Amino acid sequence: MKNNVYTLFYAGVLGTVCSLLLTAAASFTKPYQQANAKAEKNRNILGVLKVPYQPGASSQELVKIFEDNVRQEKLGELDIYRYVPPQDSGADETAAVSFEGPGLWGPVKGFLALGKDMRTIRGITFYEQEETPGLGGEIAADWFREQFVGKSIVDAAGNPGIIISSSEGEAPNKVDAISGATMTCDKVQAMLNEAIKSIVQEKQ
Amino acid sequence: MADNKQMACMTCEPKGLCGGKGLLTLKEGAWANNPLAIQVLGICSALAVTNRLENSLVMGAALIFVCVGSNLLVSLLRKVTPYRFRMIAEVAIIATFVILFDQFLRAFYWDMSKQLGPYVGLIITNCIVMGRAEAFALQNPPMLAIVDGLANGLGYAVVLAIIGFSRELLGSGEILGHKVLSAQWYTPNQLMILAPGAFFALGIVIGIFNWLKGPEPQEKK
Repeated sequence: MKNNVYTLFYAGVLGTVCSLLLTAAASFTKPYQQANAKAEKNRNILGVLKVPYQPGASSQELVKIFEDNVRQEKLGELDIYRYVPPQDSGADETAAVSFEGPGLWGPVKGFLALGKDMRTIRGITFYEQEETPGLGGEIAADWFREQFVGKSIVDAAGNPGIIISSSEGEAPNKVDAISGATMTCDKVQAMLNEAIKSIVQEKQ
Repeated sequence: MADNKQMACMTCEPKGLCGGKGLLTLKEGAWANNPLAIQVLGICSALAVTNRLENSLVMGAALIFVCVGSNLLVSLLRKVTPYRFRMIAEVAIIATFVILFDQFLRAFYWDMSKQLGPYVGLIITNCIVMGRAEAFALQNPPMLAIVDGLANGLGYAVVLAIIGFSRELLGSGEILGHKVLSAQWYTPNQLMILAPGAFFALGIVIGIFNWLKGPEPQEKK
């Protein structure tokens, strides 16, 4: 009995000391971690909008480039990030819309970049995903993402939606699925279409 | 015979805090009983993060930090820890140190933290750390436990660095991101960056270690 009390007491003290240490560390590093997370998000938006920046840029530099080049706007309920490149650069105006949804193993989050018409896809990026490496994880690979460039978020008849499918046939709103990753592709298609539906609704 | 010689050595060593025994512990952990190359423990992380030298070095540093910290605390608490509670206590202490390191990486070396992904957190389950706490720190005074943690951490880090070095060199022709093998005459062997390359590199390192160390005394007879 006495033994049990001692063990419980020991567990309590050890647990308290450990958790105090961790709490102290977490609150000390929190501002740095938040700055990193923000820079990471900015880096993804800059990447999908094709804003030029140095690959080795620090967190502070990224935040600055982001603030100089990207305007955050509201389109109805949607948050969009608009990049208006300088006149002489020859690049086109681009807007990024965030999307997210459940993947196969965990949440999938990303940005979809659209041209000025808000119909043509300029790029797509996934900044958070835990899909199976080599299968569903390929959504983050260049070959999969580059397929989207130039595609439309509406079909030939103007109905909103993008199709990720392995079936034959070409369509302005269809990209090839990843073989062996049907579940991930279906889920990504669903979350994209949800975002696309609201974009089309807001920008008729 | 070999045992007798070792015994004699142990008894004639100076009884200082970390005198001869400390050196012996250091040699044992880093060389003769190297956790990776001789005991073949903790190879999961060694295979996963060694595609670049930089990753390997950071991972090695993480293991040294965790091993030294947890060995010290486990050793300090060894006389007050209830016997049947010891493993839970060890895991709690190890987890604390691992998360401390992880938080530090996330705050100050974000890119590195992203590249190492879950493998820093998985040090908690690394057999080397728990093994040293259970096998050494529980029976030995704090100073010696620190030396043992350092030795085993170093043993792990050195092997990781060797693997990381050879994989990065052969796989991408670079060392710490600097091009050293010109693309004109060297075609990087992609295999070395991929998982099978890690197995080849680790296997060769284990082979060399065992060859240099020679066979076990019992096997000689």
